[in-house]
Amino acid sequence: MSHGEGEGPGARLRRPLGALLAALVAVFAWLVVSAPIDGVQGVIQKILYVHPACAFAAYAGFGLTAFGGAMYLWRGDEAWDRLAAAAAEVGVVFCTLVILTGPLWAKGTWGHWWSWDPRLAVTLVLWFIYLAYTLLRSFTEDGERTARFAAVYGIVGLAAVPLNYAAIDLFGGRAIHPENLASGSLGAGMGWPFAAGVATALVAFAWLLLLRLEVEALRGRLLRRAAEADPAGRPGAP
Amino acid sequence: MNVLASVLWKDLLCEWRSRDRLVAMLVFSLLVVLVFQFALPRQDAAHARALAPGLLWIAYAFAALLGLNRAFALELENEALSGLALVPVDRGWIFLGKAAANVALLAVVQGVTALVFAAVADLEILPVAGPLAGVIALGGLGICSVGTVFGAVAVRTSYREVMLPLLLLPLLMPVLIGAVRATAGLLESGSVPGDALRLLLVTDAVYLIISFLVFEYVLDE
Repeated sequence: MSHGEGEGPGARLRRPLGALLAALVAVFAWLVVSAPIDGVQGVIQKILYVHPACAFAAYAGFGLTAFGGAMYLWRGDEAWDRLAAAAAEVGVVFCTLVILTGPLWAKGTWGHWWSWDPRLAVTLVLWFIYLAYTLLRSFTEDGERTARFAAVYGIVGLAAVPLNYAAIDLFGGRAIHPENLASGSLGAGMGWPFAAGVATALVAFAWLLLLRLEVEALRGRLLRRAAEADPAGRPGAP
Repeated sequence: MNVLASVLWKDLLCEWRSRDRLVAMLVFSLLVVLVFQFALPRQDAAHARALAPGLLWIAYAFAALLGLNRAFALELENEALSGLALVPVDRGWIFLGKAAANVALLAVVQGVTALVFAAVADLEILPVAGPLAGVIALGGLGICSVGTVFGAVAVRTSYREVMLPLLLLPLLMPVLIGAVRATAGLLESGSVPGDALRLLLVTDAVYLIISFLVFEYVLDE
C-alpha cells in the first residue's frame, strides 16, 4: 500500500462512494419510514435498522485496526498504520452510536436503560479498549513509536474480545439480546430496511475511512513541504 | 533461558536494595482495604463474605497498576532500557524475566493483603490456603503478563501513570472476573469452580503467548 504525491488513491474512490452513500441514505430513510410498525414494541422497534448496522461497522473498524497493526509490524509500511489509526477512529464513532442507540431501545422495550447482557457488556469493554487505543496514539510522541505501540495494543485488544465475552458470560449477565438473523427474528417486511441499514452503515464507514486516510495523506504532504522549506527545521514537528 | 534468570535476578536485587516499589505497593494495597472498610456500610457476616473476593481483587489490581508503572521507570535511567533492547536474544525472554519479577513482587503484596483482609473481615482462609494461593498466583500471572507489556509502553507516553490503567483495565476484565469467581467459590464451598479456573488458565495462556510475541515491538531499536 502506498499513496502518490497527489490526493492518494482513496480520493478518487471517495467521491463516487459519497454519491452512492447519499443515494443509499435516501433509499434507507424511505424504507424505514414505510416499514411496518411492530405490533408489540411500536415505533421504537425501528431503531433495529440503525443499531445492529452500526455495530457491524464498528466491528469492521476494530477488525481492520488489528489487521492494519499486524501488517504494519510485519511489513513496516506506514500506510498500514494509517489504515489502522483511521479504522480505529471511525470504529469508535460507530461504537458510540451503538452504545447510544442501544439504551434508547432498551428503555422502550426491556424497561431499563442498561442491562449486563454479555453482548452489551462486551461492546462497552470494546469501546473502552479502542478509546484507550486512540488516547495511546495521541499521548505517544514519536511517529514510528506511536505506530508500533498502537499496533501492539490493537492486536492484544482484539484478542481480549473473545476472552471478555467468555468472562462476562461467566459473570452471569442475562443474555436478552435476540439471537442472530438465522433464527428468523425479523418480522415480515423488515428484511429490506434492515439490509439497507447494514449497507448504508458499511458504505458510510468506508467513506469516513477514506476521508480520514486522505487527511493523514495531506498531513504527511504538509510535513514534507515544511521539511523541504526548512531543511534545518525540527523533524516531525506538526 | 539465561536471559530470563538474569533479568529476574537483576530486578529482584534492585528491589531488595531499595525496597521502595514493594513497600509502596503493599502500603497502597492495605490502604485500599482500609478505605473499603469505611466506604461501605456496616455489613453482616454473610454480606461481608460475599463482597470480600471482589474487594480483594480490586485492591490487587490497583496495587499491581502502581507497581507495573514503576517496573520500567527504573530502566529509563541511564538508558538501561536501550541496553536491554541491545541484548542479542529473543526479546520474549526479557519480557518473561520482567514479568516474573512483577509476579514475584505482586505475590508478596497479595499474600500479606489477603492475611490482613481475612483478619479484618473475619474470613476463614487458612483451611483453603493452598488452592487460594494457586488462584492468587494465576490471577497475578494474568495481570502481570499484559501488564508488563503495557507498563513498558505507558512509561514512554506523555501521561505515564494515567495511561497504564486506561490501557490495562479493559484487558484485565477476564482475569479479574475469573479470579473473583474462583476466590468466591473457594470461600463459599472450599473448591474452585471449574469454569472460573478454565477462564483463568485460558486467559493467562493467551495473554502470555501474545505478550511474549509482541514484546519484540515494544522496545525501541
